[in-house]
Amino acid sequence: MGPTKRRWLTVVTGLVALLLAAPLRPAWTQAPVTLNVWASPDNADALADIGQRFTQANPTIKITVTPISWEVLYPRMLADIASRTGAFDVATWDVMTAGAMAPGFVDLAKFREDNPRLVDPAYDLKDFHPTIWHIGGVWAGKNIGIPFYNNTMLFYYRKDHFANPTLQAKFKTQYGRDLKPPTTWQETVDVAKFFTKKFNPDSPTDYGIALMFPRTHTLFYMYVLFFAPYRRSQDGLKKFGPVDLDYGDYFTAKKEPAFATPEGVKAVEDMKALLPYSPDPLGADYGETLESFARGTVAMVPQWTGVWAAFREAAALKPIEQKVGVALMPGGHSVSGIWGLGINVASKHKPEAFRFLQFATNKANDKAKFIKFGVAPARMSTLKDPEARRLDPRVPVLEATYPTQGYRPRIPQEPKLEDITVGVLSEMLGGKRPITVAELAKLADEWAKLLK
Amino acid sequence: MILPLVALLVGLSAYPFVYMLYMSAHTYNLAQWTPPRYVGTANFVQMARDSTMRASLVFTGLMAGIALPVELLLGLGLALLLRGVVGERVWRSLLLLPMMIPAVVAGIAWKMLYNFEFGPVNYALSKFGLERISWLGDFTAARIGLIIIDIWQWTPFVFLVLYAGLQNVPRDLVESATVDGAGGWAVTRFIELPFLAPLIWVVLIVRLIDILKLFDIVYMTTFGGPGSATHPLSFYIYKVGVSFGWDVGYGSALSMLLLAVITLLTNVLIRILHIDRLLELERA
Amino acid sequence: MREGAQAVAKLVITLAVMVFFLFPVYWLVTTAFKPGSDWFRWPPMIIPQALTLDNFTGGGSGIYGGGGGTTAIENIVPYLRNSVVVALGTALISTFVAALAGYAISRFKIGGMPFVSWIISVRMLPPIAAALPLYVTFRLLHLLDTWWALILVHLTFTTPFAVWVLISFFNEIPRELDEAAFVDGATPFATFWRVVLPLSAPGLAAMMTLSFVQSWGEFLLALILTSTARAQTLPIYLGRYITGFRVAWGPLAAAGLVTMLPVVVFSLLMQRYLLRGLTFGAVKG
Repeated sequence: MGPTKRRWLTVVTGLVALLLAAPLRPAWTQAPVTLNVWASPDNADALADIGQRFTQANPTIKITVTPISWEVLYPRMLADIASRTGAFDVATWDVMTAGAMAPGFVDLAKFREDNPRLVDPAYDLKDFHPTIWHIGGVWAGKNIGIPFYNNTMLFYYRKDHFANPTLQAKFKTQYGRDLKPPTTWQETVDVAKFFTKKFNPDSPTDYGIALMFPRTHTLFYMYVLFFAPYRRSQDGLKKFGPVDLDYGDYFTAKKEPAFATPEGVKAVEDMKALLPYSPDPLGADYGETLESFARGTVAMVPQWTGVWAAFREAAALKPIEQKVGVALMPGGHSVSGIWGLGINVASKHKPEAFRFLQFATNKANDKAKFIKFGVAPARMSTLKDPEARRLDPRVPVLEATYPTQGYRPRIPQEPKLEDITVGVLSEMLGGKRPITVAELAKLADEWAKLLK
Repeated sequence: MILPLVALLVGLSAYPFVYMLYMSAHTYNLAQWTPPRYVGTANFVQMARDSTMRASLVFTGLMAGIALPVELLLGLGLALLLRGVVGERVWRSLLLLPMMIPAVVAGIAWKMLYNFEFGPVNYALSKFGLERISWLGDFTAARIGLIIIDIWQWTPFVFLVLYAGLQNVPRDLVESATVDGAGGWAVTRFIELPFLAPLIWVVLIVRLIDILKLFDIVYMTTFGGPGSATHPLSFYIYKVGVSFGWDVGYGSALSMLLLAVITLLTNVLIRILHIDRLLELERA
Repeated sequence: MREGAQAVAKLVITLAVMVFFLFPVYWLVTTAFKPGSDWFRWPPMIIPQALTLDNFTGGGSGIYGGGGGTTAIENIVPYLRNSVVVALGTALISTFVAALAGYAISRFKIGGMPFVSWIISVRMLPPIAAALPLYVTFRLLHLLDTWWALILVHLTFTTPFAVWVLISFFNEIPRELDEAAFVDGATPFATFWRVVLPLSAPGLAAMMTLSFVQSWGEFLLALILTSTARAQTLPIYLGRYITGFRVAWGPLAAAGLVTMLPVVVFSLLMQRYLLRGLTFGAVKG
């Protein structure tokens, strides 16, 4: 082989290599990037769908969504951010883990400032309700995420049974008032009893209300449904002060436990009063209460926004417009279960991650993910959207619920507080521990130790 | 020839053990974002006052005290029963299924069976005119429910070992006993059982260790509830050490306790049962 | 006559016991083929009326009511692959390592009882206690979210048990055999490889099976040490069906069936060896 031939060969090889490496692309575009997105299973399908559309618009960025169940997502993410492994780029974080997660997530406000070129001018930050923005996006002044899944609890009831004239007449003679969705937990007891076959043979359902008070974290937020009405009443606000958005309804404005009080006891008693009218309240979790309502064996159920998709498919609830009503939570206060979407500080692809985050939470996708997957809207524009309002009876109720809903603590100690509290509440409801201020004060002492 | 084993075990267990020992004297919690801080015996003092931990010990004790003997007796009974029954080989194979099914999958199956409103277990009870039972939400029933699952899953293991052992009982011993006029029960009692004794002990130790480490089934079904009624120690350690924000310090201290309990129990058993003779490591 | 009655009685008791042990399996398997409306019913549907494959294909309306993309069973393939690689790897390596050590202990009494006790004590170490230190170590070694991470940690709890059983097994093999090989000039390793291993095949197969089963079902460490489809195993995959607002019982049962099938088939194939191998060699004629 002569020197000329060799030179030619080098040139050709080099050209081929260049073509293979960057087919028809200018040399300065980035190499293909894959973003790992960890999501709670509720959000996974919506994020995967958004990811596909994002990749269509940005062919060099691939999105891989891994659904991880709630129980596991928190410790997995914590281990990862604490050790700076960078196993995920973008993730959904649960509202009450905000404090623990904050150091591991990118400050988006700062990122926007440093990278004005990447900011979408049509994004409209003002479109988020300020409280929702704080709960689902801010910790200690740092913008650690964007509210993505604005989950809250709603009160679902059997519209058809409540509208039944025979039942209405019987209820009126028995209780001297109209049969309608209850507005306080005390009213709920009567209605629940009325719809329990054991106490009313004419009831079309076996039980009045499906409740979930299991040993998992569920019981911790269920208590907020019953405590918030006391905590947020005129008297409650006077006694405990306004609700701190980091410490939530469990605390006073002075960041001390508020539940070791007569109000806290009343809340547990309200829960206990409903137990006889519920199938297996201490053994049921999401799946079981949802199944009870979907099979038509209960008349009412407090549940998250997402169950709507399952109810819509349930044979016993068809057509859903006639059979299922959506109301504000009795007592007037729901509990929030917002999921924020944030970027790992250890991510090696922050600009790409930011662009995906921005895309996933823009106006069009906030609406699309609600209409297509039932993922509760985080933006006001979606709540006001005529199409969304027409398609889904939950929208007006959501709008009324968001400003009044109760909150769990978002401080780093939350999971631990949750575990010891659920243990105590579970024993109180199961009759293994007296429901007294003194017992709740013991729990508050445990809290104090953890908060030190 | 033992080098690969030693390397493996030292590499993967000695280091975690030392780490655990070190951390048990520290406060270290990933959710707090502060480095480990030395606290001496504070974790162990806290343990002494921890009512959830006491409840965990009670439930773990219940499992070991009820589930384990039942599994041994039932497994032995099955091993004896299945010999010579019609379709022996088929039953024998089918009986292995529960122990081969991953615990996570088994948990799912039992959660459906125990369902309060629609579950087949409560349906069977209703056929006998009995009220529905809250298998996962009642303080007593949940404990019984978990014990039943453990019996369901691990009796087959006991059965398998003892059944295999029975196959090895020398025929001539049995025959000569029968010639001497011993009945079926006498043969079992005086020849077969003594023969099985070492196997029974080994199974006992293996099962005991596993009961003390019980985790997956609880995770999938009751999550330790109601209250702390079905909270085994391993599950509590998981919650403290991993699930509720990686409280590594206290979790390590709890692990030390579990390890101490396991080591103590098994060493006592190994001593009593003369495992060394069984393994012919020392002369009988 | 009396014997006939006895046989019938035995069969009846056997059948009754079998119902207890098999019904949960039956329920799982049938639920996997039931359409959504039949997962829960009163009275429960003991004999399925309509069968469907939707739970496997993710067909119909999906779990979330919107064409459940991330939970369709086609996604199970990488997890199945990971489980097979990890469980097989663990079974093979653990048996080999345990056989080497077991032979050395059986023949040369290396370490004696204290060493054997130590090996057993490793099996007692609660996996939870090891989770964080292993996580940190594997991060340094870049082993997080890999097959090797799982194989290595699974080895720590499968190997000790195998060593224990195999010691007894090797004790049973007449020493005269290896001595003859020694006399012929074979090294200890060659003797082990050519003489002892073939003779202890049932014990090895039994240990392989048990290691396989244990590794296959392991949940806790796999949960912590893996994070994506690259290395996550089936038990972890199952977790995604338990979502915030719906337990998808049918697909969950379907995925459960896929999860248990390989291990059940494997152990039924190995059953013969299990029966012979599990007597720990402790029972002697």
